[in-house]
Amino acid sequence: MFMKTFEEKWTAWIDDELNESERAEFEAALEDRAAAEADKNQTHKLGALLKEQLQPRAMGNEAFFHHQLRERIERETASPAARATPALRQTWWSIRRLLSLGAASLAVFAVCTFLVMREEPAPNQSQYLTHILNSRVDPGMNPDATVSIFQTKDDRATVLWVDGLKSLPSDYAAK
Amino acid sequence: MCRILFAALTGAALLLSTVAPASAGKPRRGAQPGRSGKKVWSGLVVATNAAKPLPATPTELHRLDGTLRRTFGYNQFEVIGQSRRALQNGEANWLAVSKHFSLHVDPRGVSSDGYRVNLQLFQDRQILLETDATLSTSSPLVIRGPQVGAGQLLLLLVVQ
Repeated sequence: MFMKTFEEKWTAWIDDELNESERAEFEAALEDRAAAEADKNQTHKLGALLKEQLQPRAMGNEAFFHHQLRERIERETASPAARATPALRQTWWSIRRLLSLGAASLAVFAVCTFLVMREEPAPNQSQYLTHILNSRVDPGMNPDATVSIFQTKDDRATVLWVDGLKSLPSDYAAK
Repeated sequence: MCRILFAALTGAALLLSTVAPASAGKPRRGAQPGRSGKKVWSGLVVATNAAKPLPATPTELHRLDGTLRRTFGYNQFEVIGQSRRALQNGEANWLAVSKHFSLHVDPRGVSSDGYRVNLQLFQDRQILLETDATLSTSSPLVIRGPQVGAGQLLLLLVVQ
């Protein structure tokens, strides 16, 4: 054990924390007991006054402070890795969307290329069509004959359609 | 920055894919038919409907079989006269000939559009039909002639 200093004993005496023997010994050692008792009473009054006057004030924005505190606690308790990684800015152009858009563009390009290439004729074929410049049917032999011209879509054949020619017997089909 | 570049390239690819080439579907003006040596197959064909149609021959007719069926409504095509001959400028030729019909051709030269010819279809010794045409290698000429019995006379010209 070690010896208490006078100040420690004085503080303990003021706070009534000395046991009976210590208190009797300390009071016996006081030179001016009445002045000490007056100081003790003054100290007790001052303590009571401070307890009464220094009550914590009620907070008007308690919820806000709770929220701030919770956020700060969460920040401080977050993992070091998470704290080290900066927060990425969230935009519409995410990598996945960009990849999807690129794939869709390539698909559209492939479809359009296929359609364009399919419409083009074979390279060894001429682009020109056969044209009928004029045509005549002998009006004496076939007075009701009429002529029309059209082209077929599949073989691009040019058809000269002559109507109203006189019908011939089947022996005209002889070779 | 990379994302913006990627988005720009993607947009450019999309635009390019939706714009057809300006030359698509247009004639190639630089292409010209050969000046000489091209042969012309001509055929006098009688189209009929048969229960069991015979296959169309020769090859030139066989290629046109589907078109002829759809256009004229017959299912059998019999060649009664044919010719395969090179056209020479200034040299009139008799092409396909049958017993009663004959085709006379008079080449009028080569233009940027094809072979200019004057065609005359004779029935015996009389001209049944006369026409001026420009023949192209990719476009056969089919002429619908008179009704013959239950069939139809067709005149075909194919530049080879």
